[in-house]
Amino acid sequence: MMRSDPDGVAHLYVHLPFCASRCGYCAFVVEVGREHQRDAYLDALLMELERERAVLGALDTVYLGGGTPSLMGADRLARLLAAIGPLLAPGAEVSMEANPETVDEALLDAIVNGGVTRLSLGVQSSRPHLLGVLDRRATPDDAARAVALARAAGIGALSVDLILAVPGQSPDDLAADLEWIGHATPDHVSWYELEFKEGSAIARGNLAPPDEDMATDLYLAAVDGLEAAGYRWYELANFARPGAECRHSLAYWAASDYLGIGVGAVSTIAPRRWRNAPGIDRYMAALAAGDAPVRTHEELDADTRRRERWMLGTRVDSDLDVAWAGPPDRPAALEMLEAEGLIETGPGTVRLTRRGRLLQNAVVQQLMDFA
Amino acid sequence: MDQSHIRNFSIIAHIDHGKSTLADRILQITGAVSDRDMRAQILDSMDLERERGITIKAQAVRVMYTADDGETYQINLIDTPGHVDFSYEVSRSLAACEGALLVVDASQGIEAQTLANAYLAIEGDLELVPVLNKIDLPAADPDLHARALADLIGDDPENVLRISAKTGQGVKEVLEAIVTRMPPPRGNPDAPTRALVFDSVYDQYRGVVAFVRVMDGYLTGGTKLRAMATASDFDAEEVGVMSPVMTPIARLSAGESGYIVTGLKSLHELRVGDTITVAAAPATEALSGYREAKPMVFCGLFPVDSDDYPGLRDALEKLSLNDASLVWEPETSQALGFGFRCGFLGLLHMDIIRERLEREYDLNLITTTPNVQYEVTTTTGEVVAVRSPVDLPSPNHIEQIEEPYVRCTVLVPQDHVGAVMGLCQDRRGNFVTMTPIENRQQVVYDMPLAEIVLDFYDQLKSRTRGYASLDYEMIEGRVGALVKLDILLAGEPVDALSMIVHRDSAFARGKGLVERLKATIPRQMFEVPVQAAIGGKIIARETVKAKRKDVLAKCYGGDISRKRKLLEKQKDGKKRMKHVGNVEVPQEAFLAVLQLDENSQ
Repeated sequence: MMRSDPDGVAHLYVHLPFCASRCGYCAFVVEVGREHQRDAYLDALLMELERERAVLGALDTVYLGGGTPSLMGADRLARLLAAIGPLLAPGAEVSMEANPETVDEALLDAIVNGGVTRLSLGVQSSRPHLLGVLDRRATPDDAARAVALARAAGIGALSVDLILAVPGQSPDDLAADLEWIGHATPDHVSWYELEFKEGSAIARGNLAPPDEDMATDLYLAAVDGLEAAGYRWYELANFARPGAECRHSLAYWAASDYLGIGVGAVSTIAPRRWRNAPGIDRYMAALAAGDAPVRTHEELDADTRRRERWMLGTRVDSDLDVAWAGPPDRPAALEMLEAEGLIETGPGTVRLTRRGRLLQNAVVQQLMDFA
Repeated sequence: MDQSHIRNFSIIAHIDHGKSTLADRILQITGAVSDRDMRAQILDSMDLERERGITIKAQAVRVMYTADDGETYQINLIDTPGHVDFSYEVSRSLAACEGALLVVDASQGIEAQTLANAYLAIEGDLELVPVLNKIDLPAADPDLHARALADLIGDDPENVLRISAKTGQGVKEVLEAIVTRMPPPRGNPDAPTRALVFDSVYDQYRGVVAFVRVMDGYLTGGTKLRAMATASDFDAEEVGVMSPVMTPIARLSAGESGYIVTGLKSLHELRVGDTITVAAAPATEALSGYREAKPMVFCGLFPVDSDDYPGLRDALEKLSLNDASLVWEPETSQALGFGFRCGFLGLLHMDIIRERLEREYDLNLITTTPNVQYEVTTTTGEVVAVRSPVDLPSPNHIEQIEEPYVRCTVLVPQDHVGAVMGLCQDRRGNFVTMTPIENRQQVVYDMPLAEIVLDFYDQLKSRTRGYASLDYEMIEGRVGALVKLDILLAGEPVDALSMIVHRDSAFARGKGLVERLKATIPRQMFEVPVQAAIGGKIIARETVKAKRKDVLAKCYGGDISRKRKLLEKQKDGKKRMKHVGNVEVPQEAFLAVLQLDENSQ
């Protein structure tokens, strides 16, 4: 259970940090206004891939995330995908994130030809005033145009990212997003609750998030609306038409091993997790010198792994296999949680009820002793 | 020194009316402290006291002053504590003196505590020298306040000194008045030794140091001495005077004040007010006025983290070394675990101890509702002292409950008399008298002490925009219609939130408290009913709604450690919560009791 996959790591994350501007809610490792370094960065990225490829088996999933991967441009993406292609297993899922305003036919052709099977568009909202709050550059029209272009280019699966519980968001705004989805008909929707992350502009500003009741109402409206439209609520913040689940994300939630390359990227190959340091200059310099990037390492002991499996495994709507995850720290809590209607247990399995899913954090805290 | 050239005096003043500044100025003028060594307000030696602007423990300082008559006098300044909780200590300090300066701020006028201490001094036959300080302030009204001051002590307004301790103006005249107006001590130097202990401190290297005024006979170092009330014998390891630092001398004679290093290990062996005599030739009769310090206010102190329990016990032991009036005993609460029930002289004393425990000993504490001591007569005729609501017998076993009453004196400008009387009536006060003092009224009520320990002082200040001043003294126990108010969380009574209240105010208090608790207790996974009950009957109810949503937003590969650490951090936050059954209760909830009245009125 603690060993890494003997056939090698099957999941690869590639971080492409360039952004045209930083969004108000963002605290990720991104690089703004440094497009002239994209070639050098790609060189470094491919060098890191080369250094680590020994741990890789045939790749079942690849995820190009950012940043704004689409900002890399058609040629560089083609070069990256060409390097990854030979590593893919048959039927592999290759996902890429893109911002609607950066998508055009040339880019879409390049990535479809390069093997991208899944495009995730950062739409975030269909409402102009909320896009303003989020500092997004795309307009609702950009989003509609990008969806149409992606479909025309023959992308295998289309996902959109949306954000809820934005300051000032009303139930009508959310209904408008659902209506927008009804027209765009994506295969997959990620609908995240806005986090006031430390380090983001929105957390430093004076906008208040909606209160718990309002945020809950918005969340439930999103779940109900998408389920009514035929999407499965397969993870706390993710919805898919049958068969369109993101396999790469499912690998995270199954606590599988993955390799992450690029500045700021995290890898987990049990029992070790490491993170490349932020700062692309430092990252490129290390690889150019033939060294590994500067990294911080974390050893994951058996208890930490067990707690992470519960933390991750209860996010998805399938049964959690207790034999796989390991026993909860407080087994007595299972009975109490079931009596309260927050979980359902079967022989050796646990799953969260609908009410329990909205309280997933509290449920996990009841079962496991973090820290 | 010959007694005719000795003066022992105190300064009676309200907080901030300039006692410490005047004392400093006297030290400077007499050359006891050089300007360079002058640390502002030398008499307030503890940081905490300095911050609060009050003096907890008295000390005595000796200066030599050459007066206008050309003679040199030994002047002993005996400091007094400045708060109502320490009135017994004040009375002992005054008993060590023949005179006192009555210092009043020329812009503020007399305050209630000054009045109370002035009465103490008059009762003790002290010669009072009235002083108006801060005459340099633009808002000063010296004529008005001089009349009030003269009225109070039956003196001529002409005799009221007008000074500014800050600038030094008039301070020389104060020293002259001490020499010319205050009488010298008249002890019997040949009688068996009797020295009054007016203060004592514990020093970790030297043991108990007693501050004494020798009434009769004399004291020398190396003598075997006896404390008459506690019957403890000890060696005078050293005798000396503060001038202003500890300076050993050969002998303390009748009329003089100074210190004795006793080597005793605890202040409980040598109490303020006790009489020290020479063991080989003891006095037959102790000086009058000694009494045991009696705690008036009680509360439970519990460590937030139960691992801190031994640390709390050690800290209380250490504080007791230097504070004979602090009493404590172990207490166990179902809600809060192991802690201590502590007794204090009053609210300020309680605040100081709690703050010192948290600050000096780095403890994180939960304080339960302060309460007084009740004398409960049971149906079997037994009388039990109840210091905690938890110990109250069940209602059908109670014949009657007696609670302590205080006579409460409030000095307040005419405009605010209505507000003061309204507050006193609300708090079950019985009107006694009202007397004008120049532009103010002295309003006297008899009130249950229990009503004062909650938030009476804060309310008084806020309803009179800070203009009222308060003093109170114990008078007697009176029977009251008192009941125990219980608080239930999720159906379970929480012992630490129980309180004893008057039947008539039980409903309002119960309602206010459950409202506050509802606002303080965060939403839980389950709905939590918050109820107030008397004898099993629910009188008020609120509900903390169940938490509806508690999820961490998206979680991708790079986020796993961050999310896990977030859970670990939340766990730490929960550790600071107290678990009462299934309910997580934040510390603030236990303080909600104190803010009760704001909401219920």
